[in-house]
Amino acid sequence: MNQPVESIAEQKSVYLRDFEHAPARDGEPEWLTALRRRGIEAFERRGFPHSKEESWRKTRLSQVANTHYTVQPAAGEASVLAGYRPAVEAGPCLVFLDGRFDAERSRWAELPAGVTAAPLSELDGAAATAVENHLGTLAPVDEHPFAALNTAFVQDVMVIHAARGSLSETPISVVFASSDSEEQAVYPRLLVVVESGAELRVVEQHVGGGANYLSCPVTELVAADGAILDYYRVQEPGDAARQLGTVSTRAGKDAAVRMHTLAAGGQLSRTDIYADLDGTGADVELNGLYLTEGRQFCDHHTWVSHNTEHTTSRQVFKGVLDGRSETVFDGLVKVAEGAQKTDAQQENRNLLMSKMALAHSNPRLEIYADDVKCSHGSTTGQLDKEALFYLRSRGVGPADAKSMLVFAFANEMLEPIKVSGLHDYERGLLFRRLPGDETVREVV
Amino acid sequence: MALLEIENLHAAIDGTEILKGINLTLNTGEVHAIMGPNGSGKSTLAKVLAGDEAYEVTQGSIRYNGQDLLDMDPEIRAREGMFLGFQYPVEIPGVSNTYFLKAAVNAIRKHRGQDEMDAMEFLQLIRERAKTVKLEDTLLQRPVNEGFSGGEKKRNEVFQMAVLEPVLAILDETDSGLDIDALRTVAEGVNAMRSAERGFLVITHYQRLLNYIVPDHVHVLLGGKVVKSGGKELAKELEQSGYAMFGEQAA
Repeated sequence: MNQPVESIAEQKSVYLRDFEHAPARDGEPEWLTALRRRGIEAFERRGFPHSKEESWRKTRLSQVANTHYTVQPAAGEASVLAGYRPAVEAGPCLVFLDGRFDAERSRWAELPAGVTAAPLSELDGAAATAVENHLGTLAPVDEHPFAALNTAFVQDVMVIHAARGSLSETPISVVFASSDSEEQAVYPRLLVVVESGAELRVVEQHVGGGANYLSCPVTELVAADGAILDYYRVQEPGDAARQLGTVSTRAGKDAAVRMHTLAAGGQLSRTDIYADLDGTGADVELNGLYLTEGRQFCDHHTWVSHNTEHTTSRQVFKGVLDGRSETVFDGLVKVAEGAQKTDAQQENRNLLMSKMALAHSNPRLEIYADDVKCSHGSTTGQLDKEALFYLRSRGVGPADAKSMLVFAFANEMLEPIKVSGLHDYERGLLFRRLPGDETVREVV
Repeated sequence: MALLEIENLHAAIDGTEILKGINLTLNTGEVHAIMGPNGSGKSTLAKVLAGDEAYEVTQGSIRYNGQDLLDMDPEIRAREGMFLGFQYPVEIPGVSNTYFLKAAVNAIRKHRGQDEMDAMEFLQLIRERAKTVKLEDTLLQRPVNEGFSGGEKKRNEVFQMAVLEPVLAILDETDSGLDIDALRTVAEGVNAMRSAERGFLVITHYQRLLNYIVPDHVHVLLGGKVVKSGGKELAKELEQSGYAMFGEQAA
């Protein structure tokens, strides 16, 4: 451009400065240091997305770009964790506060042979090797500025590893909590590796208090050949929080990854989900429910790539929008050349509870093979007036009638949840958003 | 005191007047039939009685049990004992028939100062009532009307009526689209509920239904007005000569 060369040379982001002045990480393996450097270099190269970039056009980032969010020297006070009970009562639950492992708040439970769940800081053996092999291989470090920042500044990594053929029916829970510190940056990181023929259930939860913080969670899910992974993600960032994260998965031959997300809360939240179906017979399911109100902005971008033959993907995202909230669903299904017999479905449905709410829906297909079955659909509308009248004509009050219809709309997304406790927990989140009194809770 | 008193009722939808001065009085214990060709205003009358906000009452009054009906919201009308069997029952995906009815029953009981029904008692009630209209148990668990056949939808309406035990039941073309067996079943369900404490307003296009539900009074609706009222023999008369006999009045 026409800026003098000198001034470009001086244009160093505050994040690079933070990176250079970060305290020494004694004993950190070299590969991790190298990965961090890759992260900060990628961010420095890329910077925050410009408002004209197609995939970031609707995500208003000026507030994020103009605030200097910093990693706190130590975990702060976490009002959100006072009296907090994790969604799932069975199995281990590892708690991270401000990106740091919190042993005291974590709950331990025995795991089956071959299954490991621990922070990288306390890890050794086969699982540690798996981390070195996989961390940063799925996340879009070079393209996604927030994944890059996470990679540069990550405090600790939650690692879940299921060795070949192992099986854990008990879900493994991870809670990433943010403290009350203002303008802090939090970089939660989760790596799940399910080796050949293994099966795992993982629940990842994000919670935060009322502070204005930036959270950039990055999750990588590796499902090797014949692996089965049920992954649940519950996002409840604090009211003033900005959460911008990525979830990436790669499914090998005959592997199945079933992803279920619930997004509620946060001033601004965006989750970019990348799924690569790399092996024949790979099957990926993405289910998402988002509940927004007030002036919340909630964005889901999905990038599902069918890279080989006989792969299947199913996506259903549903939103319930109230107040002046705004949501984005932008989903790309890409079928690579030669990926014959691909079966891909994508659906986005939005229910507007208020006239001021706004839902953007942009399902996209890019197909480079000729023998495939792909479909996508998108609907946005208000509650069915005829159905409301029908319910009222039977004696059900208007608020309860609305509640029943909203519940019915959203509950479809909760029904497939296989983890007991989590199902009730998510229903609870949904109930809080229903306008009626107790009636619906009692009858459904 | 009459159960339902309609006086000079005018109603419009989207600015078009459909009902042009209806007068009708129905006493408890009576079954009235309203007959008329398509477009005569039968369904509009039913929807106005049930409180559909899509319709605007421009003139006239309706008294129900001595109260001003037009002052009541649809759910209050239902809680006060009014029931509308829809001509086109609405499908509500995701809401099970049972849950929906339980919410309705309890809302009505609460309004009447009664305790809520416990789960066992309620299940017993709906099973028993489902039998009276030969509605299969499996349909009770299904989402309201979703994937029901036309006949199942209509039976579901009569089933709901049997559970809710209304004081005034309005049946809007409950017979349309039913084969003779289904028609008989529906009629039996209605007849089993006839009593001195209950009134029925049966809206139909065809005389056929009235062979099974024999009315006390028949009104002919044409062009938004009741053009003739009489006993059950009026229905037979219509069957033979058709609505053409009112042609001039209709125009």
